[in-house]
Amino acid sequence: MITVKNLTKKYGKINALKNVDFKFDNSQVIAIMGENGAGKSTLLKICAGILPFDSGEVFIDNFSIKSDSINARKQIGYLPEMPELYERLTGREFLFYISSLRKVTEPGKKIDEISRMIGIYDFLDYEIGSYSKGMKQKISITSAIMHDPKNLLLDEPIYGLDPLTSRAIQDFIKQKKGSTIIATHSTQLVEKVADFVYIIMRGEVVHFNEVQKLVSEYGSMEEAYFNVKDEKNA
Amino acid sequence: MLDTTKLILTNNTRNFFKKIKEAPVLYFIFASMTFFSLIMFASATYFIMSFETGFNISLDDVFYTVFFIFLLKSGADLYNHFVKSEELSYPLSTQVHQSKTIFEVFISILVSQLVIWFSFSILFLLMLSIFNIQVLYLLEYAFFTVGIIAATALGCTASFFFFSKKKYRILPTFFLLAFCFYSQKILFVILISPLAFVHLYWAIKNSMDSFLFSNRKERIKEKAQIKQRGLIKTLFYRETTVLWRDKLLFSFIFFSVSSGLFTGYLYLYGHELLIPEQVRQMLGEFLPQMFVFLGIYVVVVYTAVFPGLNLFLNEEKTMWINRHLPIRNETIIYGKTSALALCFITSIPFVFYISIFIGVNNIVFLLWLLIISYLAGVIIAVPIGAKYVGKKSDILLLYSMAMILLAVIGVLSFLGSFVEQNIEHPIVIYSLIVSIEIILLFISLKISARIIRLDYS
Repeated sequence: MITVKNLTKKYGKINALKNVDFKFDNSQVIAIMGENGAGKSTLLKICAGILPFDSGEVFIDNFSIKSDSINARKQIGYLPEMPELYERLTGREFLFYISSLRKVTEPGKKIDEISRMIGIYDFLDYEIGSYSKGMKQKISITSAIMHDPKNLLLDEPIYGLDPLTSRAIQDFIKQKKGSTIIATHSTQLVEKVADFVYIIMRGEVVHFNEVQKLVSEYGSMEEAYFNVKDEKNA
Repeated sequence: MLDTTKLILTNNTRNFFKKIKEAPVLYFIFASMTFFSLIMFASATYFIMSFETGFNISLDDVFYTVFFIFLLKSGADLYNHFVKSEELSYPLSTQVHQSKTIFEVFISILVSQLVIWFSFSILFLLMLSIFNIQVLYLLEYAFFTVGIIAATALGCTASFFFFSKKKYRILPTFFLLAFCFYSQKILFVILISPLAFVHLYWAIKNSMDSFLFSNRKERIKEKAQIKQRGLIKTLFYRETTVLWRDKLLFSFIFFSVSSGLFTGYLYLYGHELLIPEQVRQMLGEFLPQMFVFLGIYVVVVYTAVFPGLNLFLNEEKTMWINRHLPIRNETIIYGKTSALALCFITSIPFVFYISIFIGVNNIVFLLWLLIISYLAGVIIAVPIGAKYVGKKSDILLLYSMAMILLAVIGVLSFLGSFVEQNIEHPIVIYSLIVSIEIILLFISLKISARIIRLDYS
C-alpha cells in the first residue's frame, strides 16, 4: 500500500510536484500518465526513497519514507527510467549484489528463473558495460522483482524491450499481488494492465479514473488521454 | 563550418561553469592550489637557475614532461568525446561526411589543449618574470606549442586504435613515440610532427571502428566466486572487483615499488644531486628524511586519496542503486571504505623496497609513518568524496586534496621524527597517535554517512 499526502517537490523555483495526494491499495495497478516533465519520474523516485521532497508525506505499507526509510524501502521494487548499472560487473554479479543487500533467500534460483522469463539468462555472464539498452532494462527489471516486493514502482517498464519480453512483463504485472505504480507514455500498456490511471500536468494530478470506465466512454485509452488533456487545457 | 567543434566546446564550457556554480568552494580551493603550484614551480626554476647543484634540468626535459602530459590528456579526451560518446551518434548520422565530423572532434580537443597550454604557460612566465628571470624565448615557446599539437595528434591516434578491434594499427604511433622519446631533442619532435598528422589523417579515415567500441567480455570463470554475502562484505566485494578489473590494484603495487626504489635512491644520493652545498650544510640530516616523507606522501596520494575519492566521484548515475536498497548510509560508507584496506596492502611494498637502500633498522618507524599518513589520507578523502558524489571533477579534487594532505602529513612526520629522536620508548607514542587517528577515522566515516543522506529540510 502506498500513501502520498500533500506532496510537494521543487527544482529551484519550478514546481515538479504540487500538493499531490493519493492512496494505492493492495492488488491494484496504477498508471501515471502525463507529458514529458510532468513529474511522473520524480514521483516514483520520491516513493523509492532516492529523492528528497519539500513538504508532505509518503508512506509505504505505513512506513514513512522520510523517518523510517529502511523499512519503507524493504517493501518496494524500483525500476528507474533508463537504468544506469555498474558497468564492470556481469549481470549475474550485479543481481547477486542486489540480492545480498536485500537478503533474498535462494538468490541463484530466483535469478535463473526470472532471467529466463525475461530473456536475459544467456547474457548473465557478460559485463554490463557491453549490454544494449534493452538488456540493461531486463537486468534492472530482474533486480526490481526478484525479492517479491509488495509494492512495485516501474518507470517506463517496457521501454526498449522486445515484444516477447514486453508481453512477459505485462503478464507478470497483471498476476502480481500488491500494489504496482507504472509511470508510462504507453496508452496500450495502461489499457492492458492498469486498474486506475492518474493524469499529471505540470506537477498536479488533474484527473483520476478507472481505466475500464475511460475506455468504455472514449473507445480507447489513447482517445481518453487526449480528451482529458484537452478538457484541462481548455 | 565546424558545427560539431562548436557544439562540443560550448557544452564543455557550460559544464565547467555549471560545476563552478554547484561547487564553488571546491573550485576556489583548486584555483588557489593551482596558483600556489605555479608559484612553487617558478620558485623551483629560480632555485635551479640561481644555485649550483649536481642536478641539471634541460629545456628538453621540461618539453618531454609537458609533451607526455598533453599526450595522455588528449588520449583520454578522445575516449570521452568520441569512443564513448553516445551523443555523437547524432552528427555522425547526418549527411555530413563522418571523417569530417570526427576531425571536428579532434579540433575541439586541440582547442581545449591549447587553451590550457596558453593560459598555464603564460601564468607561469608571468611568475618567472616576478623572479626577474628572462622569459622571452619566442622560438622555444613556438616549439613547445608545436610539440603540444603533435602530442595531441599522437594521443588521439593512439586512442583511436587502442579502442578498436584492429589494435595492430597503433604500431606506427608507437614507432613515432619511441623515436620522440629516444631522440630526447625538441627538434626531432618538431621534425616528425608532419608524420604525426599524416598518421592522424589515416586514423580518422579508419576510426568508425572505434566509435562506441565495447569488448564484450564473458566471465564464466568468475561465476564460481558469486555467492551471497553480508552487507559490508557485498559492498567491499563490488568495490574491489572494480579496482581489480580496472587494473588499478596492479598500478598501485607498481607505483609503490617504483616509489620505494626511487625514494631509496634519493635518500642516499639525492642531496648531492639536487641540493647546493651551502643549503646541504645548513639542513644536514633533515634532507634524506624529507625525501622519505615525500615518497610516503606520493604513495599515499596515489593509493589512498585517489581511490578514496573515486569511491564516490564515479557514482553519479549509479547512486540510485544503493539509495533505493534497504541499507543504512553508515553501511554504504563502511562497505565502500573497507575496500581501501586492500589498497593499503598495495602500498606496503614501498616500505620494503626503500629498506633495500636505507637498511631495515627504521622499518618500524617507516611502517608507522605509512600507516598514519594513509589513515590521514582516508580521514580527509572519504567525507570530501561523499560531499561531491558524482561530480567527476576528480582531477581537481585530487589535486586540491593532495595539497591539503601535504600539510597534514608534514606535521605528522615532523612529530614522528621528534618522538623517534627524543623519546625513549617511542612505540607508546606511536600507538597513541594511531589510536587517535582510528577515532578520527570513525568520526570521519560518521560525518560521511551524514553527508550522503537525503536532505528532507
